[in-house]
Parts: sequence; structure tokens; C-alpha cells
Amino acid sequence: MQESTFKKKMPLEGIRVADFCWVQAGPWVGRYFANYGAEVIRIESARKVDWARNVPGGPETVNGKIQRGALFINFNCDKLGITLNLLHPKGVETAKKLVSVSDVVIDNFIAGYMDRVGLGYAELVKIKPDIIMLEMPVFGNSGPHSAFAGYGTGIQSAIGLNSISGMPNRRPGLNIALPDMGPNPTHATMALLAALHYRKRTGRGQYIELAQFESSLGWMETTILDYTVNKRIRKPQGNRLPFAAPHGVYKCQGEDRWCAIAIFTEPEWNAFGEAIGNPQWTKEERFANLSSRKENEDELDKLVEAWTANKSPWDVMKLLQARGVAAGVVETGEDLVLRDEQYKAREYYLELDHPDGRAYCENTIIGFSETPCVVRRPAPVMGQDNEFVFKKILGLSEEEVVHGYVDGAFE
Amino acid sequence: MEQGKALYGIRALDLTGPSGVYCTKLLADLGADVIKVEPPEGDPMRYIGPFYHDDVHPEKSLYFWHFNTSKRSITLNLETGEGRELFKKLVEDTDIIVETFSPGYLDLLELSYTRLKKINPKLILVSITGFGQIGPYKDFKASDLIGLATSGILYTLGFPEDPPTSLGASQAYHMVSANAAIGALMALLCRDEIGEGQWVDVPMQGTNIRMSEMVPFTFWISGKNRKRSGLEFYRARRDIFECKDGRVVCSALGGGGAEKMLEWMESEGMAADLRGETYAPIIALLMGASPYGKGSQGKINMAEAGKQLRDYPDELDHIEEVWKAFLMTHNMEELFVGAQTRGVRLMPVNNVKNVVEDIGLKERGYFVDVEHPELKDTLRYPGPPYRLSETPWKISRRAPLVGEHNTEIYEKELGFSKEKLARLRAEKVI
Repeated sequence: MQESTFKKKMPLEGIRVADFCWVQAGPWVGRYFANYGAEVIRIESARKVDWARNVPGGPETVNGKIQRGALFINFNCDKLGITLNLLHPKGVETAKKLVSVSDVVIDNFIAGYMDRVGLGYAELVKIKPDIIMLEMPVFGNSGPHSAFAGYGTGIQSAIGLNSISGMPNRRPGLNIALPDMGPNPTHATMALLAALHYRKRTGRGQYIELAQFESSLGWMETTILDYTVNKRIRKPQGNRLPFAAPHGVYKCQGEDRWCAIAIFTEPEWNAFGEAIGNPQWTKEERFANLSSRKENEDELDKLVEAWTANKSPWDVMKLLQARGVAAGVVETGEDLVLRDEQYKAREYYLELDHPDGRAYCENTIIGFSETPCVVRRPAPVMGQDNEFVFKKILGLSEEEVVHGYVDGAFE
Repeated sequence: MEQGKALYGIRALDLTGPSGVYCTKLLADLGADVIKVEPPEGDPMRYIGPFYHDDVHPEKSLYFWHFNTSKRSITLNLETGEGRELFKKLVEDTDIIVETFSPGYLDLLELSYTRLKKINPKLILVSITGFGQIGPYKDFKASDLIGLATSGILYTLGFPEDPPTSLGASQAYHMVSANAAIGALMALLCRDEIGEGQWVDVPMQGTNIRMSEMVPFTFWISGKNRKRSGLEFYRARRDIFECKDGRVVCSALGGGGAEKMLEWMESEGMAADLRGETYAPIIALLMGASPYGKGSQGKINMAEAGKQLRDYPDELDHIEEVWKAFLMTHNMEELFVGAQTRGVRLMPVNNVKNVVEDIGLKERGYFVDVEHPELKDTLRYPGPPYRLSETPWKISRRAPLVGEHNTEIYEKELGFSKEKLARLRAEKVI
């Protein structure tokens, strides 16, 4: 198809991003830009390979499916990939050339790293006065902990998420890295988009500091106000909420199978009763309103579970949803990939052809009525787009490129 | 002032419940004029606790306050004909509407996107739902817990002997809200080029699949389901360990930084026999096995060439015993600073008190004091998620009272007469 036949653009077409990020929280920012139409150039170095490529050994393919390095492929689809050695003067010079033709620069190195290699904001703004630069130092660029670092698992402990999650009176444990997937990449993307909007209106760029610790604290809801105002130290509540009952996950037929149910209002409670055939207990005084259901929640949960226990979680979800009651299968990977009809219909994941085999990649999720986007190409293999970027975008000559390689500036 | 606000001049109408209210907070704290459209009796979120000094009152909900900073409020009954006409008048001069109704509800009110766009072709409508505007589950009801369940994350959370156990602080709602804000701003950025606004569809299930990370992926490559495992994950013995005054999270011996930590332990007579030859190869493996440790690139070859950590169960238990004994001699702050200055990314397992008292946050002025004049009180709120040098994040005002800006907006901005306002009030349109 010819470009001119596209009536609508993708929302971020025409924006160029120099993406110096690595591991997870950072690359996902560039991924948002790339997926929705920006030209994102991911800068890597073979001298310190991104953990997400999981070296050594490079990508490992089993039965045609990429296994090792697959995280990198998921984090970096739709991007162009180049290699630059930022410890070589020519590598830095080339990076500056790239910045001079870019709109946005992002990195998630330890605080001060870009300054040390000569690519700090003070330097970049001389080359490109309206550049927008975002950095993600874990504890910020200032303060007593600025030299410290960490990863999502540690950050979620530091913000107190572990202290309010899980079953009551249990050891805190979370085997995820939520800040890397939730608050940090989304906040960073949001801040950059707002800064681009501001630049469009005023012509002015700016520097954005996203301290991952502070950014992640933004998702702690009223935990902080409840302490600063009421001096309450919130504790884990399991699956319960103070303003809903029944509210939890209930055992279903099958090994380790569960369905989540969430009932907030009286109409929802009545609909739940109807959906399960109005057994006598649903009419009892002790469950007549929210406060009495909260008071007798242990017994309530047992009765609900007696109903769910001999049904598949899918049947529970569908029976309750048919009456307008919020219920959802506690889905496994297998459920998502093979059984969830919505997942399939919306194509939440795509299989992509990659030079190293088949890759499984998250698709775009945000739906735009006029500028719809899907993931278009898999992540680059290391240095895949060096030629194109160095010559076509930066205008380097063949000789300059060869010298770059020989000098070790492009590795 | 125009110069200081990233989203200056952007007007958003806020028709959100709990799943989307964080989206409009993000826009408001960056300077957009966000108008909360509440039913005449007030937003139901005003009844969600906790409450100011535990006094249950619609003007004292900390939940409502937290999520509605920097916004204005009007009351408007969208289920009356006149209320809808009034709403359409507001839409003429609106850039973004954010709503969390069930799919089809706006259509029932004759306020579908197609209709609204006729009034204002530049209008952006952001619709936040459990499962999206299309697809077989589109009419399913959802909540934060349902979002976590159906995106594959909940199944992996908690200990194997417990049921799947949710995260605190409505993470699924935050995730879909933040993505909705991204969608809103993307639509805004391209609006001039494409010459029109658009409808942005943001499902909670879909956006939350990102948080489940490896769950669908693990099944796709291996045919296996990721299970609940408490905190034992990745390749190292990374875990939460007890210390003198609480807990810390890190790999055993600091993983990749084990040698540095052993030096520290030895200097305090706490390294036991771990520096001897017996443990050298195992510690080398431990350093390589740390998920992001310095050893992970150089030392992993050893693990691949021959033995793996699991071949040394007794030795590992002993290492952990020595490590745990060392941790018990220090408090969280000492371990945090001591490990981090040695390049080991140990972190404290904080509760909210530790967070509010954190010296780093204090020195950086993270928390912000917001005045509540009616209470003659000033309350301490969480601060900026990001710091923009030209257009700083800012809580410009506390959350609005019910209909606090009715006069300001209906009378001064829309030019309604006092009499009309009084009549609309009497007829419970506003």
C-alpha cells in the first residue's frame, strides 16, 4: 500500500525518540511511543548487553519459538535498533547527532550517568534547544539516596506495597515487579506526552525527572493520607474491601481453580441471589445489608464457596455476569492464551516473525477510533538498523561508518 | 499562569468512577481544567473511606480527596432532558471527556460519541471499561479485583498454600487510568494534524495484562502455567529477610555483590566459614544467579557448564543461615545504606510510617501540604510522580465540595442567569 492512501496517521507519527533505556521500566516508555507511531531509535551497546536479551548465548529458540531474549523482543517491538559505545568519544558524538534530530530523549541509567558520559541535559540542550529529556533515577537526582539504585521488586517493597498486600498476618511476599510495569513506564509516557503538548504550544522543551520511588508511591491510593491524617498504618486485607461483600476469590471445580466475585451494592447482592437460585440463606437477616454481610463475612464466604465449589470458574463467571454481577475467572496463562474469548477477539498478544524464530508479543491495547494502531514489527536484533540510522537519518558517509566500527565506537 | 502548566487551556469533563478517577487526577495535576460532573446528591465516591478523623461524611472522604485534587465540581443530572442539554452546552467548549459507564450507557442517554462529535468535532472521548467497547465480554461487569483476576496476574500472587491474593491500593484501577491518560494525550497531540477528535477505548483487562508480564508468555513458550510462589522468583534466592527492626528484600548475600557483602560481614565477625574454599564455587554461582547482579554476565557460564545452585541444597541453607544472622544485627536503614554503598540493591520493606518518615523524601520535599479551609486544617498529600522543569506537577487546590463551582461555571462561564440557576436547582437538574 502506498503511504498516501492512508487517510489517518498514527497518533505519534512525526515524533522521533532517542531511547537509551534498558531492562524493563525504561524500554516500555519507548515502546508506547513506537507502538503508536513515533520513530523510536533504541540505542544499545554490545559492551554491556541489556539484561532482557539474557546473555550470553543470545536468543535461544526451541521448536521455532524464541525463549531466551523474548523479554527484549516484547519490550522493544516497533523500534529501530542501533549500537553505540558511549564510552568512546565518537560514540558520544554520534549520539549527539541523533539527539540533534530527535524530539525526545529517554534513559533509565543510574543518576548522573548521562552527565558523566557527556550526554546530560545541560549538554543536549545546547545541541537541540527544545529537546525533551526524561530520566528515571530510582531515588531522584538529589537527596541522600540519589546514588542508590534498585529494581521493581525492591521499589515495591520500599513504597510499602508489600505491607498492604497479601493475606493478613502472613509474611509479605510479592513475586512481581509491579513498578516496572505499572506506575513508572505509564507515568513517564504521560509526562512526556504532556511535555510534547506544551512544546507544541510554546516551542519550549524541558527536563523531566521521574524518581521511580516517588512515581510508584503515586499508586498507593489513600495509604499515605490515612497515615498523615488518621495515623493509621494500613495492613494487608487479603481479598477483602471495607465497602464490599462478598468480595474475594472462591474455590471452583478443578485443581487450584478460582473465580473472583465483587459485590458492592444491594441491587448487585439481589442479582447474585437470583443468579444462584435464591437459596434461603441469601434472604437471612445476617446478610440483609452490607454492614451485616461485613459482620458475618466468614460465614458468607463459606456459603458462596459452597455454591462455586462444584462449578468450573468459567461457569461461575458466566452465570453471574449474565445477571450483571462482577465476576472473573482467576485466569492462568493457559486460560488467557487458549480460553479467554475476549483476549482472542481483541488480539491482546500477537505472534510475530523474528529473524531468530517466532516471538510472542503484547499488542497495542489503547484503541483509537481514527488512528488505530497494531504492533507492526518485532524488536531489532542487536545493531539491526545501524546502516539505516547512521546513513539515512544522521547522514554519515560510508567512510565515517566504517571508521566508527573500526574504532569500536559503534559496538 | 499559562507558562507554568503543561496542559493549560485543556478542558476535561470528568464522568469517572473509581476505575477512571486517577486518569483525571493525572490531567488535573498537570494543569488541565478538569470539571467533575457529579449527580445532584454528590458522587458516590464521596462515601468511600477512609474518612477524615474517621468521621463518615460525604465532604470528608480521604478517598475522594486523594483522587480529585486540582479539579472543579459541578452538579448535573444527566438522566433529565434539560440536564443533557446543559451537558451538550458544556461539550461545545470541551477537549476531553473521560467516562467509566458501561458500554452503551451514553448512547441510552442520547450522548453517544457520534452525537457529541456533531456538537464538537474536536472532542476526544476516553471510555474506560472492564473489557472494552467491543468483543464477547464487553458487557461484563468489573472491579479492581476482577481486573487483576482476568488479566492473569492474580493467579500468581500469594503463597501456594493460600488462595490467589490481591494487591493493595487498587492497582488495576491505577493501571487502566494511567493508560487512559496516555490515550487522551495521544489523541490530543494528533488532533490538529488529523483535524478531529476521536474515541479512545481503554479496557482494564487488556491494560492489566502488562502487569501479569510472563503469564501468557510462559504458557506460550512452555505450555506451563506460572504459579504462586510467595517471593522465591527468578534465579537467585531472592527473598524477604527479617532484620533487627523489620524486613529487607534482596538476594541471599546480596547476589551479584556477595563478595562485597562478605567483606562487610567479615569485618564484623559475621561471615562464619563462608570465606573458605568450600563455599567459593557456590558463592560464585550465587553471584551469577542474581537476576541483575554484576555476576550475571560473567559467571553464568559456570552454572551452564556444570553444577547449578540446586545441586548444593545443604550449603545454600547454611549460607542463608549465616546471612540471616548477619541481617539480624542491623536495622533496615543500616542495611539499606550499607548494602547500597557497596553496590548491592537491597531495599527496605517499608510500611507507610517508614515512607512518610523517609529522609530522602523529606529532603527532596516530596510530600505536599494542601489547605482545607473549611476544616481549618492543612493535610499532607503524596507529591509529584514526576518533576517537569518548565511545567511542574502541582496540586492547585484541594478536591472540590459537591457542586462548589456551579455558580462559577454555570453563571460566569456559561452565562446563565441567577433565576435560571435557581430553577435548575429547584428542579434537581443541578
